[in-house]
Amino acid sequence: MKHFTKMAAAALIAGVTAGAAMAQELYAPNLAYRTGPFAATGIPLMNGQADYLTMLNARDGGVGGIPVNAEECETGYSTEKGVECYEKTKGKAIVTQPWSTGITLQVLPKTNVDMIPILAPGYGFSPMADGKVFQWAFNTPSGYWDAADMIIQYLSGQGDLKGKKIAFLHLDHPYGKEPLPLLEAKSGAMGFELVPIPVGLKEMQNQSAQWLQIRRERPDYVVMWGWGAMNAGAITEAVKTKFPMENMIGVWWSGHDADLAIVGDAGKGYKSISWSFPNADAPVMADIKKHVVDAGLSKSNETEMQGVFYSRGIVISAILAEGIAAAQAEYDTAEISAEQLRWGLENINMTEERIKELGLEGMVPPFATSCSNHTGHSGGWMLEWDGAQFVKVSDHLKPDTSGYAELINTKAAEYAEANAPWPTNDACEG
Amino acid sequence: MLSDIFINPFVDMVAAPDFLMQVLWEGLVSGILYALIALGFVLIFRSSRIFNFAQGIMVVFAALTLVGLHAYGVPAWISVALTLGVMFVLAVTIERVVLRPLVGQPDIILFMATIGITLFLIGFGETIFGGENKQMITAELGIPTGDTVLEPFGGLLILQHLDITVVIVATLLVGALLAFLNYTRMGRAIRALGDDHQAALSVGISLQTIWVLVWFIAGIIALVTGIAWGARAGVSFALEVIAYKALPVLMLGGLESITGAIVGGLMIGILEKLFEIYWGQPLLGGNTETWFAFVLALVVLLFRPQGLFGERIIERV
Repeated sequence: MKHFTKMAAAALIAGVTAGAAMAQELYAPNLAYRTGPFAATGIPLMNGQADYLTMLNARDGGVGGIPVNAEECETGYSTEKGVECYEKTKGKAIVTQPWSTGITLQVLPKTNVDMIPILAPGYGFSPMADGKVFQWAFNTPSGYWDAADMIIQYLSGQGDLKGKKIAFLHLDHPYGKEPLPLLEAKSGAMGFELVPIPVGLKEMQNQSAQWLQIRRERPDYVVMWGWGAMNAGAITEAVKTKFPMENMIGVWWSGHDADLAIVGDAGKGYKSISWSFPNADAPVMADIKKHVVDAGLSKSNETEMQGVFYSRGIVISAILAEGIAAAQAEYDTAEISAEQLRWGLENINMTEERIKELGLEGMVPPFATSCSNHTGHSGGWMLEWDGAQFVKVSDHLKPDTSGYAELINTKAAEYAEANAPWPTNDACEG
Repeated sequence: MLSDIFINPFVDMVAAPDFLMQVLWEGLVSGILYALIALGFVLIFRSSRIFNFAQGIMVVFAALTLVGLHAYGVPAWISVALTLGVMFVLAVTIERVVLRPLVGQPDIILFMATIGITLFLIGFGETIFGGENKQMITAELGIPTGDTVLEPFGGLLILQHLDITVVIVATLLVGALLAFLNYTRMGRAIRALGDDHQAALSVGISLQTIWVLVWFIAGIIALVTGIAWGARAGVSFALEVIAYKALPVLMLGGLESITGAIVGGLMIGILEKLFEIYWGQPLLGGNTETWFAFVLALVVLLFRPQGLFGERIIERV
């Protein structure tokens, strides 16, 4: 009995201590995918995200003195598993990071009820930019329609697109189909022919049929919305069919160093629009090396850390940390709630000065969010594969959002109507 | 509309015969690889009545082992030999640890066991090799990577040397397998087990030995398939889904038929490519390869439930 009493007391103390410890952290779960067909592209992103937050926790004790716990829940990029992870983690989460357009679309209505912000940097449903309708969702700093707009702008800079043909090679998945409304609108307005070419999940590594279609259609340009093994599959097929690489442009998820390394020099000229860029000399990299890599806390490696995707992971966590910091300052508390973080994410102001303060020079363009603008529309840079790495080949490109602001509002309104009753944030000023 | 279905595709074929030849070539390359994967399924099913769900992950595991060993500085061809050794050890382990204790259990239990093997190999592979996309050691293995450009009918036909090598190696492997099954003692033992389990056991054929052998052969097939597909787009866990392309081949050709696997693989490889290019893309927006093979197999099953070459099972009561 005496033994039992001691055990019970120990358990009580442990419980209280654990409870106290749990309260002393900001729980920001990450619905990661380090396994499955898309793991090759997921791993460097997850590593970058984790390393940045580990560095903040080690260097500054977290954000506002409270550590951030970005526990990963493995989804394998499966929408079903992603929803399970969301349900499992939502209890004490201040944010959810779904990491797939499919998962984002599934959890979007749930977050209205659970009141948890979705942070989907550079992915998800493009009309999420409308913060009045999608008050809990953020696709900061740029959305897919921004990407499509910038790519079309870049191509039209090469010559009038009227009468030209653009093949749109995309994963047959909600992610791949996401820019279609904008591209179709642009096609009508600018007079180019759009040829959508879907790639099934089972065909990612054998795209011979898709590239035979490209050979038959003879497009002037190929725009790619690929992910995972599809990117490497497409680039090897492009090389094989002798499609001119300089006429092929991918979205930011199709600009992964490891995919291009497979073809090496043969991939020279391939381009990818990107809102992030690696800068080995940025102070943040030195801090990560000191506090994370040298301490043996990183899962990454030297080659991966020089790549676009690892640095994008860093930027994503920096955006989250900025949202947290903004909320902490506004509400004068370090232990913010999910609702307070939503305010923080709506009030990020990444100026050049702030980017420099964070040690992220050259890694992300400036942007600002607001109640009505949940994307920020940062724009980005056109990157080009030089045979060994991606290099910047453009100045800061900005999307012309005026051209599709109405489309965003229309699609957001359609979504809200289709999912009625859908709560909107009427306090938001346009 | 009717002309789009019945006339235009054939007009296109005649108008651009070089393009048709390219489509047929690409279909042949895919088909021979489907046939190879399907053979791995068939061999195991014939000898043990197990539908090996783990065939896909074995492709990934073999390719990752090869690339991983080479990354540690092992010369390419020694890596191949060592990978074959690993696949043999895997075959022995599966037989000893998973299959032997389940002898006599219903087929569904053995099938579930192969799902367990799949999950184990995914976790084990990711722990050892990581999930990143790795470059296949194509050049180190001496596999040619250039191409030959022909101009039939004044057009263009691009033959990748890698694809030519794949077709030759896969054909040789299929030929060697057929010779092994038909002309060697062990091969005949595998066939005997497939024909009549009880009779084969009663004449002294060792079930354990045969199981190790067929799983090892499936491992060899997995390695060749892994090299062929990995050379196209790198080695990652995405290779696993390639194996599922063999499912309609098995439905079409019959789960027990070696001839069915070969003919079914080639048929599906070529027909799905022809359908996608001449009917799927113009009429249905493309990406018909994801379902065409299954529909074709289902149509065949309507008329021949045992598949094109499968054995008709008649049970008398």
